[in-house]
Amino acid sequence: MRNTITLTALAAGASLALAACSTGAPSDDGTAPAAGGDGNKEIAFVQGVAGDEFYITMECGIKEKAAELGYTVKTQGPQKFDPTLQKPIVDSVTASKPAALLVAPTDVEAMQAPLEQAAQAGIKVVLVDTTVNDPSFAVSQISSDNVGGGAAAFEAIKAAKPAGGKVLVISTDPGVSTVDARVKGFEDAVKADTSFSYLGVQYSHNDPATAANLVSAALQKDPDIVGIFATNLFAAEGSATGVRQAGGEDITIVGFDAGPNQIKALEAGTVQALVAQQPSTIGSDGVEQADAALSGGSVTPTIQTGFTIITKENLSGEGGDAAYKSSC
Amino acid sequence: MTTTSTPPQTIETTASHDGLLERIKSMQSVWILGVLVVIVAVFGALSPTTFLTAGNITNIAQNVSIWAVLAVGMTFVIITSGIDLSVGSVLVVSSVVAAKSMDAMGGQGWSTALIGLVLAVIVGLGWGILNGFLVAKAKVPPLIVTLGTLSVALGIAQIITGGLDIRAAPDVLQDNIGYGRLAGIPAITIIALIVVVVGGIVLHRTRFGRYTYAIGSNEVSARRVGINVDRKLIQIYALSGLLAGFAGILSLAQYGTTTIAGQSLTNLNVIAAVVIGGTSIFGGQGSMFGSMVGLFIPAVLQSGFVIIGVSPYWQTVAVGTILIAAVYVDQQRRAAATRGKGVSTA
Repeated sequence: MRNTITLTALAAGASLALAACSTGAPSDDGTAPAAGGDGNKEIAFVQGVAGDEFYITMECGIKEKAAELGYTVKTQGPQKFDPTLQKPIVDSVTASKPAALLVAPTDVEAMQAPLEQAAQAGIKVVLVDTTVNDPSFAVSQISSDNVGGGAAAFEAIKAAKPAGGKVLVISTDPGVSTVDARVKGFEDAVKADTSFSYLGVQYSHNDPATAANLVSAALQKDPDIVGIFATNLFAAEGSATGVRQAGGEDITIVGFDAGPNQIKALEAGTVQALVAQQPSTIGSDGVEQADAALSGGSVTPTIQTGFTIITKENLSGEGGDAAYKSSC
Repeated sequence: MTTTSTPPQTIETTASHDGLLERIKSMQSVWILGVLVVIVAVFGALSPTTFLTAGNITNIAQNVSIWAVLAVGMTFVIITSGIDLSVGSVLVVSSVVAAKSMDAMGGQGWSTALIGLVLAVIVGLGWGILNGFLVAKAKVPPLIVTLGTLSVALGIAQIITGGLDIRAAPDVLQDNIGYGRLAGIPAITIIALIVVVVGGIVLHRTRFGRYTYAIGSNEVSARRVGINVDRKLIQIYALSGLLAGFAGILSLAQYGTTTIAGQSLTNLNVIAAVVIGGTSIFGGQGSMFGSMVGLFIPAVLQSGFVIIGVSPYWQTVAVGTILIAAVYVDQQRRAAATRGKGVSTA
């Protein structure tokens, strides 16, 4: 046992010494040649969560525009929409010194410092879709006009249920800037209309099963709900399941985003309308802004992209084009 | 995984006097350190200008710091042949209580931060004692107890906050602890290192540590030789809870928010690290150094994969494979050791 202890202590000591040596000169970073320099044509894209059609479609837009402008793209994303998982990825991307970083921050506060660090390393940071508390370090922010999107979702419910009634919001997690804005837009629109009563917002934590449970429980309490606004992909999938579980009928579910499963749900009549963002445009605009920042062109600090309302009726035309892709 | 598990198949050979070299060869943590060195060498060769930079190595160390604090407690718990699934939730609930109190107090100074620290540690300790009591006295298997407290603690955090993250870490905490540096080394890493070293000394050098191994090797024997097993178990789970509470304040310092929706994979990541590092899930075996090496393997893999641009999905595949391989090699080595000395499978 004693030898083991000695050895462990030795090894621990050695690794300590190693760590001390290797971290001795952090100021070297600033003078490293690669970041932002001429000839670096690499763009890193850090998604909010890997495997989500919204981000995949955005990635498609980024890749297309990047190829056009002569950049290469490396995409990374955390397993969950979770800043504790996204931060290490952003840190590693910063270490790899791409010319530009397109990133969808998973928390307004937690991702502030890691992204500032990336900007300080000379990387042009473009915030896509979500943002942080103080985005002054970013060259540009591109997102959907989410307040407008929330209001549009209410209009879609109103169009289907002109008589009014109870409406519910199924959101993801509090603190995600885009989603909070969608909820706010919806709330303001509901409160301005006296024929509707607002049942508040429930958080599904980005888990379809949780959303399903929340919706079926809400229907137990208020069987006369006429409309549900689901603020993202997973919330909409779960809400549709929840309505089916509870045997709910004639409830207008308006989803935000338009992944393949939502389109299927729309075709099947479980979801009556979808507010589709334009992730592909967000992505290609992001690359354009990064390129402008790198080549010294004029940069637009904030860009807001629009929406497409998809219903069964326009699915074969304009609506179908707005649907998200599961691969490029 | 129950406390009444079968006796380990290995024969304790620590009483005999092997040569240092043989002892080194027989240590799982040395084998796994070799794996880590190979991984670092491979990524270093693939992208020498970016992977092996001071900045990147510092970032990796910073990103494992919170897990390192949790892994210290988890190492103790797993050596007793227990498990603590609740660490992530206890971390969250501790940081919520601390953040809420610090928010109510207002100030951005050290006094506010200190109150937050004390509260976080007390809350963590409380959950740990509850876990320990249920395991030791109520005889509920640790897997079930901590699976339960995982839910309960997270639920209470959501009740306290209404599900809304509290972004109220005092500035001094974020500036000095979360992102502060001492001689180029992140402050949070230094703090974690102190916890690890103290934890290692307690585990390997004190009676408390020896009793921890004794309980994990054979709980019945430990009772017969007069160890107060129940009290030790409560203390060990309390230690794990206390460290989770401490990690809660570190998390607040690093992220500036309570990450209620996050931390859901923290417990599994920490358990994987401890097991990769050679701590036996059947108890009685393990080292603090091994757990630290086990923590760095997934972190280095992730960083390396991101830098060379491999799809994020491969990282989970690689970590899972290493986990199984590490335990397999460990089992083979032990089987060989049981058959007779001098047989090496390495």
